Amino acid sequence: MSATDEVLSLLPAYAADELAAVERERVERALAESPQLRDELARYQRLFVLLAALADEDVALGATAERRMLRQLAIGWYLGGVVRFVEGVASAYGRALVHYLGGGRAPRSQQGGR
Amino acid sequence: MAEDLSNAVTDSDAALVERIRMGERAAFDTLVRRHQAIVYRVCYRILGEPEDAADATQEALLRAYRKLDTFRGQSAFKTWLMRLTVNVSLNERERRKATLPLDDARLATLPEHTVDLRQAEAVTQIHQALQQVPPNHRAAVVLRDLEGFGYAEVAIALGVPEGTAKGWAHRGRSRLKDLLT
Repeated sequence: MSATDEVLSLLPAYAADELAAVERERVERALAESPQLRDELARYQRLFVLLAALADEDVALGATAERRMLRQLAIGWYLGGVVRFVEGVASAYGRALVHYLGGGRAPRSQQGGR
Repeated sequence: MAEDLSNAVTDSDAALVERIRMGERAAFDTLVRRHQAIVYRVCYRILGEPEDAADATQEALLRAYRKLDTFRGQSAFKTWLMRLTVNVSLNERERRKATLPLDDARLATLPEHTVDLRQAEAVTQIHQALQQVPPNHRAAVVLRDLEGFGYAEVAIALGVPEGTAKGWAHRGRSRLKDLLT
């Protein structure tokens, strides 16, 4: 990669003020000598103005979509509770079965995990 | 009631997560209300369409609830949620394989100083251009330049090293620069 290409690759970060001092100074030295780099920097600066405009855009879920989503999340919450309950019952039943088949001995995990 | 509202304002995400783990539905509602706007914005920026973004938002929040046990608090909850959000959005994007057609002729007619356009018009153009950026690079630009995350958080949200996150953001910016300026 040539020195110019390297500086070109640093330009977006320079325009976003993300560079460390050493890199920033290097870019500024190159900018002082190159109209091409200055044009490129101007394009990035315009891009960041545009991105700022996009970031300011009021983007929000519509009221209807929000209600639908909250309803679905509520269903998800209760279904999750049901699943945990069923899993809990199944787990307890399984432990009881193991206990029964094991002739009344507690499952190994309750005997110290060996 | 007043106490509930007070809790909703003051509880940290981590405290809400603990309350959700103990089965408190109200805490889940509070967490959803707190983060649904940013989840929707990120989904919308990545997917490009409001309807798709609404579906992805719902899926991301549901997935967050289901996977809450995997949240270890090693990053901020918001960053963890962003990772789920980006994954859901990118998967959805991949599944649909639908890209918004870029109106090249329209982009070509953009004046040199686009900022002079009415803001709404400019915003539409940028949003369209953003859809032409490769998905990973777009996600990096969205998180870094539109949502203001630091690169460390962007990296966590994208599940890549920080250097990769920076590279993706820079390449996304470069593509947008070529499309828009």
